Amino acid sequence: MSIISVKDVSFSYNEKKQGLKNVNIEINKGEWIAILGHNGSGKSTLAKTLVGLLEPQNGEIIIDSIKLTEETAYDLRKKVGIVFQNPDNQFVGVTVRDDIAFGMENLCVPREEMLKKIDFYAEKVGMIDFLDKQPSNLSGGQKQRVAIAGILAMKSDILIFDEATSMLDPYTRNDLIQYIKELNEEGLTIIMITHDVNEAVLADKILIMNKGEVFAFDETKALLKNKQIFLDSHLELPVTLEIASKINNKKIKESLWEFTLTK
Amino acid sequence: MNSIIIGQYIPGKGFFYKLDPRTKIISILFLMIAVFMLQNITQLLIAFGIAFLMLLIGRISILKVIKGLKPIFVLLIFTFVFQIALNTEGVILSQATMHFNIYSVIGIVAVFVIWRLLLRFGRLKILLFIAFMLGVYFVLRYINYLADFYSFQFTIYEKGIEMSVFVVVRLLIIITLTTVLTLTTKPTDLTSGLESLMHPLKKIGFNSEDFALIISIALRYIPTIFDESQKIMAAQASRGADFSEGKLKDKMKQIISLLVPMFIIAFMRSEELADAMESRNFVPGERRTRINILTFSMIDVYTSVFTLLCFASAIVLKVIA
Amino acid sequence: MGIYFNEVTHEYASYSKKTYKAIQNISLRIEKDYEFIALVGHTGSGKSTLAKHMNALIFPTSGSVDIFGKHIAQKRDKKISYNQLRKNVGLVFQFPEYQLFEETVEKDIMFGPLNFKVPLEEAKVIAKESLELVGLDETYLKRNPFNLSGGEKKRVSIAGILALDPDILVLDEPTSGLDPAGKNTLMKLFTEIHQKTNKTIIIITHDMDLVYEYFNRVIVLKDGELSFDGTPDNLFRSDVLDSNHLDYPNTIKTLKYLKEKLGLDVDIYQKNVDDVVVEINRVIANE
Repeated sequence: MSIISVKDVSFSYNEKKQGLKNVNIEINKGEWIAILGHNGSGKSTLAKTLVGLLEPQNGEIIIDSIKLTEETAYDLRKKVGIVFQNPDNQFVGVTVRDDIAFGMENLCVPREEMLKKIDFYAEKVGMIDFLDKQPSNLSGGQKQRVAIAGILAMKSDILIFDEATSMLDPYTRNDLIQYIKELNEEGLTIIMITHDVNEAVLADKILIMNKGEVFAFDETKALLKNKQIFLDSHLELPVTLEIASKINNKKIKESLWEFTLTK
Repeated sequence: MNSIIIGQYIPGKGFFYKLDPRTKIISILFLMIAVFMLQNITQLLIAFGIAFLMLLIGRISILKVIKGLKPIFVLLIFTFVFQIALNTEGVILSQATMHFNIYSVIGIVAVFVIWRLLLRFGRLKILLFIAFMLGVYFVLRYINYLADFYSFQFTIYEKGIEMSVFVVVRLLIIITLTTVLTLTTKPTDLTSGLESLMHPLKKIGFNSEDFALIISIALRYIPTIFDESQKIMAAQASRGADFSEGKLKDKMKQIISLLVPMFIIAFMRSEELADAMESRNFVPGERRTRINILTFSMIDVYTSVFTLLCFASAIVLKVIA
Repeated sequence: MGIYFNEVTHEYASYSKKTYKAIQNISLRIEKDYEFIALVGHTGSGKSTLAKHMNALIFPTSGSVDIFGKHIAQKRDKKISYNQLRKNVGLVFQFPEYQLFEETVEKDIMFGPLNFKVPLEEAKVIAKESLELVGLDETYLKRNPFNLSGGEKKRVSIAGILALDPDILVLDEPTSGLDPAGKNTLMKLFTEIHQKTNKTIIIITHDMDLVYEYFNRVIVLKDGELSFDGTPDNLFRSDVLDSNHLDYPNTIKTLKYLKEKLGLDVDIYQKNVDDVVVEINRVIANE
């Protein structure tokens, strides 16, 4: 069941800078999509158009059967939440509690309900003991978790992660990815923008963007089998698959594939 | 870097911590006006006594308030001396010639050197400063073994002492009041209080809610910006930008090497933050509910009554005089 | 000659009056030649604090550091020019945004040499050479640093420190945020510099694949203390990493998986993809 439809969307920043060119994508409810691509490939531009921060010059975006326009953007933002790359530049509140409350305050949620939701979602992301802490006392990973709590509290069921792990160290990054996996297993639709192939392979489908266009969009395993696509888009295969491609033994190859896709 | 104390707020318990910030802001405003209406020194000393009592009742550490006075201490001394020098009414309490001759000038230099030396080892910088001033006074008064190339009469009049005490005590009361405010009120509560008090300004187009949000976001970023400034300084210092030495021209370049990255980071931050806020349904000017609300209680009523009484008394005293 | 840490502890004061020991009792010897060191540790383990001692940006709260013969202890010594030490030990931080500030790349790279009173014409030549060293051509000289891509900015910030011609080079996560191709290009650059000049290079990194492939010495910090100091091979054969929130290189993890899953008798300690492939093929051939 399609939850996001991107139909022939084009967007230019100005005459010289083209962000997106004729992008067509269908995303189904509950899917985990990874978007790969170099800087300038259009990944972040796409993310921003999906939450209405940028308005495409051509084409249309349909979220949960509603067309995204200036009028509907406000309501659709309740359904789609976005976590950005820099943990510090999206933390609005003076404390964790205030930050989780921010979105709900904007939606005029009554105070009693807000307090309950804050406790619930803080618990969910593992930050219940940090409610009174200031952001300067939190690590990058903790701030990202608070961002997630704030978005979940707005009852979004589509989550976009715009390189949300790239400023974190590997351990924290892995932690966050495991949490994203949990969210996906609970039924949330996840769109994860990353330049790290090793993260992308955990998703159901991979979308490769190149110079503003969709270069490839397919189920993860199918896409990974096509080494040429990766070479053509100047991306590298995960190390394990690189090894697999150089080994002729079928059993070992299969094991390596299994290892890659189930971290 | 853990959180810095912003505006001297130190968590604690006690009367003043329980008051609504709006009560505190308004009361302190009215009390300050009341203090300025007082005319004579007896009234002022009573006010000072009341202020002292307030500190005791509120269980505010007197030491912390005195620490808050440190920045303006030199100002207080100069005000004191100024008032003494300017007021020439009343009974003469002391009159002495201040001699400027070679020996006394040498004497002043000697006292200065001793002061700077003692500063390195001693901790009581304020007392040492007073000792320095007294030292200069005694040198100028008593070292007159040679002919003076300049001299003047330093006369201390009764009125001088009276006025200097008056002005200094008044300053002390004002500073104590404001210190109590910033010591016992979280910056965010202060912002909420101001936001609430400025609500009527909405009628003339000033949105106090958006303004308060801007202030609280600025407060939230102070520790972050401080950390970043440290990082920038470290990066530039690693390239030889020595922030402690150097000629004026070099210093300009060093400051630019610090300011440019800070501005760029600030611009990037404001764009990203605006995107994040908008994506979370923030619309400037639209109604929002609040997680942090301010509520009045009985102690706010008592405090307001007390403030009104003080204010009324001050008016009465002024009218009578 | 080099950087010698003697029982160095560095405590930060935090406002709640509790002090926090970023590093404790660290004793280390780093010579100025022939060393290619990886400095690893979990976030908050003290790596950055340790690095900042190396060019006297911060001083120990107890213990001392000897940098190229200069003794650095708790108090500032008026006889020592700490600024000069920044020429001996060049420290490049992680985010170029904290360093780039001039209108052109050329001016920005010249900032360092000019601070050390290098004549303008000479500084220009140095800027050009430093840029070449990091793999960027002349056309970059007149460009605005803020219009560059992330990877290009990183290289310009590294060039800015190379321009000082330091004896020891310390880099804080120079490859983070770069794609694999970019990472390898930079690592090859550092290896080249090391091979050509024999200068010691210390790199703070989280990337264990790089550690295994390129370095001959790895220092591991844990909670501010020295947890390991030796070769990468010895590190991965020990159990230090397990207690440390740190990962093994992909080569080892992959071979371990194959060994456990399929019972292959592989030697899991292979440094890079090619060695792994060779090892697997060797074992297949024997069976």
